[in-house]
Formats: sequence, C-alpha cells, structure tokens
Amino acid sequence: MIRKLPFVLPLVLAVAPLAHAGALAIGSAIPSADVKMKNVDGKEMSIADVKGTAGTLVVFTCNHCPFAKMWESRIVELGNAYQSKGIGVVAVNANDPTVAAEDGYDQMVSRAKEKGFSFPYVVDSTSAVAKAFGAARTPEAFLFDKDGKLVYHGAVDDNGQEPEKVENAYLKNALEAVAGGKAVPVAETKSIGCGIKFRS
Amino acid sequence: MLPVSLALTLLLAGSVRYAPDPPPPTAPAPTPADAAAVKAEIAKPGASAVLVNVWATWCMPCQEEFPDLLHVAREFKDKGLRTLLVSADFPGMEIEARQFLSRQKVDFATFIKAGKDEEFVNGIHDAWSGALPATFVYDGQGRLVRFWEGKASYPFLKQRVEEALARKETP
Repeated sequence: MIRKLPFVLPLVLAVAPLAHAGALAIGSAIPSADVKMKNVDGKEMSIADVKGTAGTLVVFTCNHCPFAKMWESRIVELGNAYQSKGIGVVAVNANDPTVAAEDGYDQMVSRAKEKGFSFPYVVDSTSAVAKAFGAARTPEAFLFDKDGKLVYHGAVDDNGQEPEKVENAYLKNALEAVAGGKAVPVAETKSIGCGIKFRS
Repeated sequence: MLPVSLALTLLLAGSVRYAPDPPPPTAPAPTPADAAAVKAEIAKPGASAVLVNVWATWCMPCQEEFPDLLHVAREFKDKGLRTLLVSADFPGMEIEARQFLSRQKVDFATFIKAGKDEEFVNGIHDAWSGALPATFVYDGQGRLVRFWEGKASYPFLKQRVEEALARKETP
C-alpha cells in the first residue's frame, strides 16, 4: 500500500488534514478480528483467538526496521507481562518480505525465539489487516479494552533510542489502566517509524 | 626468508595503504532543526512552492526516491521551488547523513531533526503518522497543498509540485 499511498492519501489529507487520517479512531471495534494469520508456531490464528478478558493489544512490527528493533525488547517485556494480567497480545508483521528480506517468515520464527516472545507473532500475508487498522508504520500499537473498543493507539513510549531516558511510558501506562479496568491516561501518540512495506 | 614479524608488518602496512578512504563530503553539513525551525523555513518568503521531504539513511524507500526528489528539486528550482530535505536520522548519525547527501550530489543547505521525535512529528503536521518517508508540498503562501507517506515516483512528484506552483497567484 505504501506504493499506492501517494495516489490515495494526498486526496484525503489535502482536503482534511486530520490527525493521521486513515488510522482507526479511538472507540472503534477491532477490525479484521476474524482474519486468520500464520503464527510463528505454524498455526493459523486470528486476533479474536487471542482476545483477552481485560483487553487486547495488537502491535504492528517487523524484523528489519531500526525503530522496531529499538523498541522490540520493550514490546516483548510488556506483551509477556500483561498477558498474565488478562490482556491478549499479538504482534503482526504486514511487511512485504520481497522488499525487506529480513521480514520473511523464517526470520520471524528466529526472532520470536531469540527475543522470547510468549505471544503470537503472525504474518499479515496480504497486509489487509494493517490496512483495516490504518496502520502506517512499525512499530505501532493498538490497545483495545475488555469490550473490544480502541482505547490507545500509537507509540510504545517517548524515547526509542534511549530506554533509560523514557519520560512517558505510554503503552505501559495504557496497559496498566486497561488491565485495571480504568481509563487510559493518554489515548493517542506518535513516533517516527518505518513506513509499512505493504504488499501489493 | 623474511622474519615473521617483518612479514606481518609489511602485510599490515600494505593493508593500511590499500584501505579505501571515504571521499570527503561535498554536501553541506545538515543544520539541526526542530519542527518550529522547519516550519520557519517553509514560511520564509521568496518561494513559489516548497517541497519538504523527511528521510533517513536507514530508510530504504527514502533512499530509493531520493534521485527523483532531486530531479524535481533541480528542475523546478528556477520556477521558484524551494526544497527542504530533513534527515530524521538518529543523533550521532550526522556524518552518515552527510555522506549520503554527498553521494546524491546535494549541493544546497539541508536539515537534520533536532529534539524529541514525538514533538517533531506533532510539530510538523497533524496528518503525519511519523512514518518515513514523508513528503509535504506547500504553495507560496505556506499553505499545505499535498502530503503523503511512502515512496513517490518522479511523475507523481512533478505533478504535485506543478500543482503547488500553479496556486501561487491564488489568494
């Protein structure tokens, strides 16, 4: 889709330059929840399959992007920790591996093992799920509450390069709120990231 | 027969002699700029249109579209197009950014992101998700005409710039 974006987004954004037009709005239901995607364990699964009792976290990420790599340990740490607090977690790779070979399935399997993902890392094989979310970059997090409504969308935190200098742990704070059935403190944030290499 | 130590010395000396030196940078060093500084550059009078591209050395599509961007920048410079290239490279990668600009034969002033990423993204424009590359086309009055994320081709870029230049007389 990235290749198609120049032909689509300008028409939208030049008319209505809203906050990241196209991204899923806060309060939206989980899109494409029943789409089956191949997990690194070889099994097909959907977002609905991982839905948690307290909430559901969907993170669009990949292997090759420097920003995804910088935040990877934090994503794994949060995902692993909040699974035990009733949050269903899934990492989704929507990138076309013909554009970035490091994002291939075998490399995903290796990365998940190496980094200790205790949650699924699935292939969005047509990038349709990412498009349904309006995801644009990696990494990009979408957190839904127990009712399946989007309550947080954006960055992991405010400092990809220097974890020790993070001032706002946006995703962690949102996860903590959702796990406790409370309102998230900040609903939308942004960060620089790699544009998703959408499959054509 | 040469003593081993002498042979090693000669070998190492040879290695050093044949190690390629990186070519000296020809592009001006990018100037650090936060979002406010970039917007001030956009608003500077004198341009009939402004093309802003946020890129990074680690971003493959950014590198791929660079020649087309520069083609358009040069083609329309005399018609009043101001081109602002803003590197979003990490702190400490200024040298790599400048080397890339030099390989692309950039001979005009460019910028490198200063300050926190989130503030930079929010400060540049609400519509930008933060994904790279990001390109903005403004008219001569500093009004955003077009914005997109992702790689663009030469015909697409040319059309958008022409569109912005055509708006120069529009109130």
